Amino acid sequence: MDSQLLSDTFVDLADTMVADFDIIDFLHMLTDRSVRLLAASAAGVVLADPRGELRIAAASSEAAELIELFQIQNDQGPCLDCFRTGQPVTAADLSGPGQPWPEFAAAAVQAGFRTVEALPMRLRGQVIGALNLFRTESALFEPADLRVGQALADVATIGLLQERNLRRSETIAEQLQAALNSRIIIEQAKGKLAERYDLAMDQAFTLLRDHARETNQRLTETARNLVDDTSADFPLKPGK
Amino acid sequence: MTQSPRAVLWGQIAEHASRHDRGVSVASVCAVAVASEGVSGAWVTAASGQTPDVIMYVTDPVAEQLAELQLTLGEGPGQDAQASAAPVLVADLEAGEPSRRWPAFTPGARQVGVGAVFAFPLTIGAIRAGEMGLYRDSPGPLTPKQFGECLILADAATVFLLDDAGGSVTRGYNGVNGRALDLWPPDLARHRAQIDQATGMLTVQLGVTAGEAYVRLRAYAYARDQRLADVARDIVARRLRLEPDPAPDGEP
Repeated sequence: MDSQLLSDTFVDLADTMVADFDIIDFLHMLTDRSVRLLAASAAGVVLADPRGELRIAAASSEAAELIELFQIQNDQGPCLDCFRTGQPVTAADLSGPGQPWPEFAAAAVQAGFRTVEALPMRLRGQVIGALNLFRTESALFEPADLRVGQALADVATIGLLQERNLRRSETIAEQLQAALNSRIIIEQAKGKLAERYDLAMDQAFTLLRDHARETNQRLTETARNLVDDTSADFPLKPGK
Repeated sequence: MTQSPRAVLWGQIAEHASRHDRGVSVASVCAVAVASEGVSGAWVTAASGQTPDVIMYVTDPVAEQLAELQLTLGEGPGQDAQASAAPVLVADLEAGEPSRRWPAFTPGARQVGVGAVFAFPLTIGAIRAGEMGLYRDSPGPLTPKQFGECLILADAATVFLLDDAGGSVTRGYNGVNGRALDLWPPDLARHRAQIDQATGMLTVQLGVTAGEAYVRLRAYAYARDQRLADVARDIVARRLRLEPDPAPDGEP
């Protein structure tokens, strides 16, 4: 493991929590760093919606997003079991026989994944979501990597729940709704940028995030301003 | 197989609307909240941009007073819920925190016998449609199940407000024949990202606000008897573009 990147990651995660915190930016950082640190091919974060469903909050790639969505839609897979039990769940050798989640295994293999590790996001006995790691090869994650992955998930959980102003004693449920709404704002802004400049959705996200960083704004605020702006003069342009 | 909470609540909204011989609306949403979520009354206000919010429906005089108090004073759980895009749950108005947070609203609410207030933003991402407020004459929190169901009711109220504001073709639908159900669950939760992306794309294609874009997306699906998720997927894949409305008088 890249120990420099590991320490940088914890510093960055802590930084984000102190300064202007944007939950979706934070969760994207978490998935990106999980991929780089833990020898994963992709990563995703799902959060519990009190409406009784899991929702995807961030994914490092379109393939990861699709396979998370497949599990939610089909009510089957390691990430769901992890969320329900609050325990890590391993799905190894997904192309082999005797799969505990046969439809999920087939979909994962089709998306290019052979190994999945789902790590719970827990706080005080409540499971609020899961960090999911995907590998294209059929090889289990190292125990040391999984310990780091769980630590990242734990830090993210604390960050997620302290995001909002704690002196207002908002409940976890109230805070999660704001996070889920942030994700919607960002998807709306991605669509607007993608249409305006003929970009793929991931390019649109990169453009949005870079603009937020350059202008020192929170990602959600940048996205909201963009969606709210009805002027013909677009406030944001792709690469100079 | 048991029905999802969403399907059950939409069924109740549709049933209430048909019993009162009208299309589904925020009135039915408020009635279902009172019947099913252990609250005494409910109100819905619509955000109207620059001007003050407008009261769209109240179930009773106390609900009306609470909605008016917030609008008059410019403070309250409803304003905070809209500002933060998150619910604001006040399980006990007698506790110290509400008095500090809303020094004018809290005594006014207590005076009319209110023990708890729960405010839900009617929001889809950047789209702000208004507020749904619930109150109970006695203090105490919503249970987790009630909280989740109130979120689903708020989703329904959001759609009805947007449809009404947009004068949408979906306005005439009613839930009795199941059409309302088709347009909402489970598509929205499960295909969330593509529906939101398509909404953003339509703001550019049609030159409209996000709220109008969302109404147009739903109207297109409804008029063609297609699933919202399928229409959204086609727009995101750039297989489908929507055209701006022609001028109302038919002139180019």
